[in-house]
Amino acid sequence: MDPVTTLPVLLGIAWLVPLASFTLILLFGPRMGKHGQGAGVLATAAIGTSAILSLIALFFVWVPAYDWAPEHHAAHAEHGAADHHDTGHGDAGHDDAHEKDAHGADEHKAEEHKTADEHHEWRKPYVAGEWYTLGQFGKLRIGISYYIDSLTVTMFAMITFIATMIHFYANGYMHDELHEITDHEVTLSNGHHLHRPGRFHRFFQYLSLFCFSMLGIVIAGNIAMVFVFWELVGICSYFLIGFYIERKSASNAANKAFIVNRVGDFGMIIGLMILIATLGTFSFGDIDTDGDGTVEPGIFSLVRTEANNHALVVPDGMVRAAAASEIAAGVEPSAEQIAKWRAETGPGGIGRTAYWLLIVAGLGIFCGCVGKSAQFPLHVWLPDAMEGPTPVSALVHSATMVAAGVYLVGRFYPVFTPETLLVIAIIGCITLFIAATIAIVAVDIKRVLAYSTVSQLGYMMLALGVGGWSAGMFHLITHAFFKSLLFMCSGSVIHAVHTNDMTKMGGLRHKMPFTAYTMLAGCLAIMGAGIPFMIGLSGYYSKDAILAQALSFKASNPQWGFLFYVAAAGAAITAFYMFRLWFMTFAGKPRDHHAYDHAHESPKIMYYPLIVLAVLAVVVAWPFWPVSIVALLEQARPEGFHETVNGVLVSNLTHPAEHISHEPNFHNQATWVATFVGLSGLGLAIVFYGLSLLNPAEVARQFKPVYTFLWNKWYFDELYDYLFVKPTLFVANRVAEFDKVVIDGIIDSLAMLTRMVARLDDLSDRYLVDGFVNGLAAWTYATGSKLRSAETGRIRQYVMFIVVGTVAMFVLISLYIS
Amino acid sequence: MESTYLTLLSTVVFLPALGALVLAFFPREKTEAMKYFALGVTALVFLLTLIMALPSAGDWQFDAAVTDMQKVFSVGWIPSFNINYFMGLDGISFPLVLLTTFVTMLSMAASWPIEKHVKAYCILFLILETGVLGVFLALDFFLFYVFWEVMLLPMYFLIGVWGGPRREYAAIKFFLYTLLGGVFMLIAILMLYFSSDLKMLSKDQLVAAHVISPELSEGEQAARFAEIQAHTTPRRTFNILALQQLGQHTDAFNGDVLGKPLQWWAFLLLLIGFVIKVPSVPLHTWLPDAHVEAPTPISMILAGILLKLGGYGIIRICYPICPQAGYELAYFVCALGVVSMVYGAFAALAQKDFKRLVAYSSVSHMGYVVLGIGVWSAVAGNEFNADAWKMGMNGAMFQMIAHGIASPGMFFMVGVIYERVHHRNLDQFGGLFAKMPLYSGLAIGIFFAGLGLPGLCGFIGEVFVTLSVWSFNHTLAVVTASVVVLTAAYILWTLQRVYLGPEYKGPHGDHLHPMTTRELAIALPLFVLAIAMGVYPQMVFHYMTPSVNQTVDDLAGWAQRNAANLPQMAAFDPTAPAPVAPALVQAEIQ
Amino acid sequence: MNLLTDPVGITHYLIVGAILFVTGAVCMATKRNALGVLMGIELVLNGANVNFVAFGSEYLRPGVLGIGLDGQLIALFVIILAAAEAAVALAIVLNFYNNHSTVDVDRADELKG
Repeated sequence: MDPVTTLPVLLGIAWLVPLASFTLILLFGPRMGKHGQGAGVLATAAIGTSAILSLIALFFVWVPAYDWAPEHHAAHAEHGAADHHDTGHGDAGHDDAHEKDAHGADEHKAEEHKTADEHHEWRKPYVAGEWYTLGQFGKLRIGISYYIDSLTVTMFAMITFIATMIHFYANGYMHDELHEITDHEVTLSNGHHLHRPGRFHRFFQYLSLFCFSMLGIVIAGNIAMVFVFWELVGICSYFLIGFYIERKSASNAANKAFIVNRVGDFGMIIGLMILIATLGTFSFGDIDTDGDGTVEPGIFSLVRTEANNHALVVPDGMVRAAAASEIAAGVEPSAEQIAKWRAETGPGGIGRTAYWLLIVAGLGIFCGCVGKSAQFPLHVWLPDAMEGPTPVSALVHSATMVAAGVYLVGRFYPVFTPETLLVIAIIGCITLFIAATIAIVAVDIKRVLAYSTVSQLGYMMLALGVGGWSAGMFHLITHAFFKSLLFMCSGSVIHAVHTNDMTKMGGLRHKMPFTAYTMLAGCLAIMGAGIPFMIGLSGYYSKDAILAQALSFKASNPQWGFLFYVAAAGAAITAFYMFRLWFMTFAGKPRDHHAYDHAHESPKIMYYPLIVLAVLAVVVAWPFWPVSIVALLEQARPEGFHETVNGVLVSNLTHPAEHISHEPNFHNQATWVATFVGLSGLGLAIVFYGLSLLNPAEVARQFKPVYTFLWNKWYFDELYDYLFVKPTLFVANRVAEFDKVVIDGIIDSLAMLTRMVARLDDLSDRYLVDGFVNGLAAWTYATGSKLRSAETGRIRQYVMFIVVGTVAMFVLISLYIS
Repeated sequence: MESTYLTLLSTVVFLPALGALVLAFFPREKTEAMKYFALGVTALVFLLTLIMALPSAGDWQFDAAVTDMQKVFSVGWIPSFNINYFMGLDGISFPLVLLTTFVTMLSMAASWPIEKHVKAYCILFLILETGVLGVFLALDFFLFYVFWEVMLLPMYFLIGVWGGPRREYAAIKFFLYTLLGGVFMLIAILMLYFSSDLKMLSKDQLVAAHVISPELSEGEQAARFAEIQAHTTPRRTFNILALQQLGQHTDAFNGDVLGKPLQWWAFLLLLIGFVIKVPSVPLHTWLPDAHVEAPTPISMILAGILLKLGGYGIIRICYPICPQAGYELAYFVCALGVVSMVYGAFAALAQKDFKRLVAYSSVSHMGYVVLGIGVWSAVAGNEFNADAWKMGMNGAMFQMIAHGIASPGMFFMVGVIYERVHHRNLDQFGGLFAKMPLYSGLAIGIFFAGLGLPGLCGFIGEVFVTLSVWSFNHTLAVVTASVVVLTAAYILWTLQRVYLGPEYKGPHGDHLHPMTTRELAIALPLFVLAIAMGVYPQMVFHYMTPSVNQTVDDLAGWAQRNAANLPQMAAFDPTAPAPVAPALVQAEIQ
Repeated sequence: MNLLTDPVGITHYLIVGAILFVTGAVCMATKRNALGVLMGIELVLNGANVNFVAFGSEYLRPGVLGIGLDGQLIALFVIILAAAEAAVALAIVLNFYNNHSTVDVDRADELKG
């Protein structure tokens, strides 16, 4: 099968099937089967189809079609760098590699970057093309396109598979929603609990849309399309977190999730703006969009040009943007001039400004990831998101939504400068520590898991930030398996005891063995348990990789060594709180007998997925499978990251190539550290909760301030409320008042003024103008009255007057004339 | 041909007025029949315009590939002042005309609850439609102004008679604001008229401006041209296309008035006239009052159509006629847009009245339009690459259409519950989802369109406008981007207070019966269009992009020709001193 | 110059006219009888007529005017006017007499201001 034509079709269908399911349930949901039960079947079937298609795409299309990346490819590249130019990796090779795909269906222009023959430099294989255009203005173009490399395919398989498991599970978990239910958490004004019809179909409707949106992010061929689905994922999470719309806390949490995500999106939009303004394209890969036969370079090719051996280059567009005032002054932006400008990296230099643009663009995109992946300082929404039903939490926390942020960092990796990566690492580091500490004291079983997710996401960000691209993506995938497992187990527990509070659980392993032991597998996996250098659970491999890379980073940059220490400490804390959770829930004696007595194992439809996932959580990362995840991911490694890279702005910043961390001196050390901290965390948990040798309440009392601080989640919610929410509302109210008081005040007083002027005008009319006219009339009248006495009515007298007057006139005239 | 177009466009414009005339002979008590008749007329007009959008409409078909004016006709009206009955369509006006006829039809359907003076209502309603369509189609400035004023009066009565408790205040406020804008516009029109001279244009330009009909043969054209040139006195004109040619190709409007070129003043006056209509902060306060007091269908028209007249005027008149002034005032225009966006969003966040909130959201959303039109980045760094501006202008146009779909929807949704419970206090709602699920679903969908959610119409316009700003100014770009957070905040908060929650908290809870078929028939088309436009924006861009791009290219071309005389607008240095008025006139004379 | 010795010229006519005019005026001013006043008016008019005729006469003023019928024409016109006026005036007097049983103009003071 030709992957260039098959992959977009297969994955495209896998992507759209959930949308179809969403639409069908939206239109016919309540009429599907009894109480909408058919909706669950439909949604599950849809995502199952997607999963099958994705697995076919992975195992039967991708794997046979593409060569594996050479093991330590970068090592080859390092000494290959010198003869890079000699091999003539120029135009000829370029054309070779960019084999044109003449038989792209309809308007789909797809190219393929095939692995060239063995003599050639190994090239990252990917398939990119466009489905249709949203808008095109001049050269700027935004469309719905795809970019498929092994990361895409792997993510597709992972997401659809886990989502399928969750769908199955949800069919059981949401069973209550099939009939009228009473929500005990909502009390109406008349004192009764809320009684409402079930919303089974609506739940699956949202789940389908959620899957569609997430797959959209993964298949997206340009960053704008990522943004589109990014927002859709946000809105799906809004619907699902706020699924219990009657609960104030749920709708608050939903609002919080969406708005906090929008804060991240704000940064992302800035990143998008910079990219479109300076590069003129959003596309990841090189696509011939306008069909004129030439391939327009995508963002990745612009930032890491082939001519520069895929090392980071500030793109021409950014240099031109930075040199705008020079160009405006008349300097011709020729290629030589741009190269000259680019080299001006000293303080105040144009090259430096351009470099900053690249950093800001990268940080902007990362901002979006911070929001979506719940990194510090935007992590506050995730624990609240536990208001949603547990299958949603499982989906949000493993395969979708939060994974999207890490995925995007991985996808957008080529654009990040070492400085950006350093910020990512630090953010990840802070996040993993804060979240881990809060998880220690949380008693809500789902919240512990939520903080654990935040912490693990911090790990991934840290890994990506210190140059461990495949370590980060690897952990993303292994984490998806065990975190979905853990959440579904916790859901199973909640389903059984109807509470989230761990202090009311205990001893449940006797009642629900499947749940207990699958969850144990999950805990071991997240802790990274394994026999050093032999075999381990999935977390063992991915966490080791992260620690090794952090260690390697520490070796290159001693001043940033704390990243490694925090990561190691975080691993210990992880082990501690996970086993705290397990012991409090399943071991010991029941604390609430009422709950315990009613507890029962969940139905098969719920624990079968648990078993499947538990097995996968154990085996998925084993390196001895024919298709190993690490090898798959290596295939998608961004070009330019096979080698060690150095920072420009921050002195002595070096991101060591990832293969270095595989060398024994780092790898062994990391493995020992990981094992040791994991075991110590586990040991502490056993001491406190397993054997109850120490009383945790006692310790909490001893460290009261610390405990309170952690219990209140580092006071982030209060801080944000104080810093952002209140001021925003304050400003809003002032603005509204300004409108009412000042603007309308001015308008109204202008109107008043006009009326006053009008009144004055009226007065002046009455007394001035009319006064004059009337006065004139009165005077005329008075004069007439006075003259009337001359009118005697005697004709003879009149004649006399005439005669005398005439005579007088003539006399006068004669006098004057003479 | 011209006679066909004359018939076609005149029918479109005056059919509603004709309907109003017929309505006058209806017996007073036949209110139902009057409503049906008015609805029929609006539907007929809509069908007429819809046919033009179809590909197989022959002579009637609007050809999307043509960038210039089409369906143009010109008939002498007041020859002594060179005023013509002159109309035409292009990609900028056609989508707006379609939107007008569509929204008017839906608003008429939403007018069923009107019981007071139905006859007068329907008559005024139809006259209003004539006025609006006339403004969009008129190509003669005088005609434009006449329609502008024709539209004003029915609106005044519709708010003032059928409005809420403070209707007189709101109606007078609306009237005075718009009238003030109209007066400014009139001054500018006269300024431009008395400095215009057709003799300054070449024959090709006159043909392009339809002063000389392109349908004439070559010889006749030459004769007409000679006839115009033969005049000894200046040939004044109200022809908008000719004024555009004069503004872009001659220095007719560069005469000095109080230390500034005449076109600077004309631009400013026209801009004030139009942004009152948009409305932009600080000239916006008539809008919330008018919306709150107006009956639902009138709010729909007001938000859906009348606000668009402002944006349309800026695109059609301000920039093409006064390019130099537009260039100099680019920052001013963009700042107006951005301030409106932020200010409107903040104000919306603080509202307690549902309708007022939606009104402020309109202020915020229309800010995108002004911003998108104004991002004059064609000359950034001396590179005449107008792509970003094209994106902004197209985004702004799309935003107008999208807002024309989403905001009538929002107002209608508010109207639906207002009709049931007779209050709009946001704190006294809640739990509507349980009582009216279909209504709530549609309402949430339409509000999300306003929020700018991808897949719905609001997203496309906002994102294109936002993305285009960076090339113009970084600070404005950052502020623009931050609005997404505020928008999300006020819309989600509103949804939470109205639709979510356990129970309805206000009075008349027992009146909350589900939507009627009529209401569904109004809401559903809006909802479906919101989705369709969000998923496939090409259905709108297809019609508008060629003309919008042509407009931008013309202006970019103007900038390129006059580059030597223009102050550099350093796009990457917002702190640079404001550009000073260039000595364009002197330079060209020398 | 001596009027008595000189041949009859325009001056003589004018003197006659003046005498007629003055007589008429005095008659108007002194008579209380309305008919007397009317007679005075006739005298005044005819005094004017004499002047017109004299000025318009080719014979009396040779070479000064063209054909010289203007004076005569105007005199005729005045005569006709005088007749009309007399008719109207007599009608008024008759009415006045009917109402007041007198023709004393001093009694007719209703226009007194």
